[in-house]
Amino acid sequence: MPLNTSPTPTSRSGGCTLTGALSVTTHVRDAVSIIHGPKGCAHHNFSLLHATGLDNDRAVIPGIVSSALLESDVVFGGEEALLRTIRSACSGGAGAVFVLSTCIVETIGDDVEEVCSRDWPVPVIPVPTAGFLGGTFHHGVNNALIAISSLAGPVEKDLTVNIIGEMNLEYEVEENYAEVLRLLHSLGLPTNIRFVHNLNTWDIASLGAARLNILRDPSLVPVGEHLSRIFSTPYVPSFPSGLSGTLAFLQAVGNACGVDSRRALEIEQALQAEVLADFADIGDQRGVFSGPVLNGECSHAAQEAADALHIRVSTDPELPALPVHPSVGTAGIRRMLHRWRRSLHA
Amino acid sequence: MPECDNPLWPCAMTGAAACLAGISGISVVIHGSSGCYYYPATLLKAPLFGTFILEKEVIFGSEDRLCEVIGDLAKTGNRIAVITTCVPAILGEDVKAMVARYEVLLVDSPGFAGDAEVGYAKALSLLEPAVDPARPGINIDGACLLDPFSRGNVQEMRRLLSLAGIPVGVVLCDTSRASLSRLSPFTLGTNTDFRSNAGEYVGGTLGFSPLKKTFGRIGEVIPEADGAAVLSEIERQEEALIHACDKYLRRFNPPSVVIFAGSAYAGFAADTLKHYLDADIRGIGLRNPETSGLPPHFPHEYVASLSRVKDLIETHAPDLVFGSSFERSVTGNRGFVGLIPPLRGEVRLAPRPLAGINGTLSFMEDVLNTCMDQKVRQRNTYS
Repeated sequence: MPLNTSPTPTSRSGGCTLTGALSVTTHVRDAVSIIHGPKGCAHHNFSLLHATGLDNDRAVIPGIVSSALLESDVVFGGEEALLRTIRSACSGGAGAVFVLSTCIVETIGDDVEEVCSRDWPVPVIPVPTAGFLGGTFHHGVNNALIAISSLAGPVEKDLTVNIIGEMNLEYEVEENYAEVLRLLHSLGLPTNIRFVHNLNTWDIASLGAARLNILRDPSLVPVGEHLSRIFSTPYVPSFPSGLSGTLAFLQAVGNACGVDSRRALEIEQALQAEVLADFADIGDQRGVFSGPVLNGECSHAAQEAADALHIRVSTDPELPALPVHPSVGTAGIRRMLHRWRRSLHA
Repeated sequence: MPECDNPLWPCAMTGAAACLAGISGISVVIHGSSGCYYYPATLLKAPLFGTFILEKEVIFGSEDRLCEVIGDLAKTGNRIAVITTCVPAILGEDVKAMVARYEVLLVDSPGFAGDAEVGYAKALSLLEPAVDPARPGINIDGACLLDPFSRGNVQEMRRLLSLAGIPVGVVLCDTSRASLSRLSPFTLGTNTDFRSNAGEYVGGTLGFSPLKKTFGRIGEVIPEADGAAVLSEIERQEEALIHACDKYLRRFNPPSVVIFAGSAYAGFAADTLKHYLDADIRGIGLRNPETSGLPPHFPHEYVASLSRVKDLIETHAPDLVFGSSFERSVTGNRGFVGLIPPLRGEVRLAPRPLAGINGTLSFMEDVLNTCMDQKVRQRNTYS
């Protein structure tokens, strides 16, 4: 079967570019995201973002407007509908307007960039999306971050750190941020902005001030490179994953910011020893890794934790399942071990 | 159509998928992008297949990809239904000819064709449900996978038909492919926004009054039916409902309400609230332009966007709002009762009905409990 009801990650099932871009642009709270296409595309995404917001205890309504193309617009062109929608969004007091195209608009050939480049009272920024024609979900995220960075100008550097490209649809997005914040705090480094997570247009102006950008994961390297070119800001390519990865993260951030990380490393190593001691009761058992995303990074982090506790990992499906999800920092490993305990003691 | 902020209702493609995914023996293929596939797949929680086409297929043609997916599915013995999404619908490919070697039901239902009801009706008409005059019983109509009350409605209708000694014919759309050509001659409705027009319609089941008429009519068309058993239960339960509402009205004024739903559920809610609680129906925002399920004396308009929902709530300042979790997110401290999808941010496991006797009781339970919670909250605020 080429595709089943649970497709594995491939270029075909890499998700919708539009959804990826919206997961970013809708977090600029005073901006409007226009989806240039039929109403259904906007409903799909609004519904998804709304549901994710509820899961994350956030009842913020995303600012999405559809140009609501009908069959006649598809036949005769949708640029008039887009003009009307931008005009309406600009008159509503938005800090910026992001224009995201859809598959159908790309196919009929509307010139979205030209419409956006006209004289508007607020920044109107086209974000290259177009559903499957634009790439995958990750392309949408990257394109949106790069497009939004155009709202920032040159500023003086300070001692802060930016968080770049958090996965806003991730269930544990706030917990993962809190873990990175804890690690930065142990190095004495304050954060500048979460680019882009729950902020306003004017916050973005200070994007170039940070001394370092920390990317959520390596798929954001094109964004890191772009920001490095524009603002001369170096980057760390990923949030910390696994026990040794967390220590390496502290060292890398310390080195990049010119901060001595030795004390922070000692504290973290002591914390990790404490966490492992708390789970000594599940040591010397056997289990099998299970999870929807068993990529190299999260498998490595899980294997490292299993080795530290002398848990033997097999592929025998009869053994208890050890749930594996991408985990951030020492706190992420601790939460994963709680789930292993539940499974091994079941 | 003017622009629309935060559109509230799914597109025709999703409606077509909701219809076809309810029929066992049919493999449903969404011919389009992964983005178009994921939404109905997560919303309907039913097995769907996708072609997940890419740019190269848009440029060089999607025949190979479509046939690759269909070819594998054909081996299962299921009939295949292909729903075209926006881009394949305008590519100009002769999809019918492309899949001619397979037994395929082709449903041209792109998102720009309209809302979910349009796609649902189109898919259902292509299935060509047909009556078998010899089949006994009554069909249950209006069971759509999009509707969070659908499972409960069907369960309640099975109970009432069993009480009346009438076999259940076919449930549309929750049945097997083979049953589609063997419908009973008579049909009763649950959610009439998803009506099939198959079989002779004997009436609706939303609210006690239509329910009485429908089971009265059933007694006429199926003489061996024991409609009296159902009518007697309605009488008993209606008395309990009237008692509960009277008790409420002894202490409190009737609630003022604004209702957001499709016309069938909106009409049911407005009628029931007016009849038993003398509620002040300040406004109805319809999800669909269809108004046939709605008594014309209630003020109503078609509402497609969240900003209009907010406007109506702010303008009418009701005690209670009915709708989806979209409405709940802009309801503030007012009371809220869930009536249409999506109903997110709450755990819903048991099948709850809106149709039938238990549907009205369960609806009014929610209303009275929400109203009383509101009153207690208000009293605590002022004391």
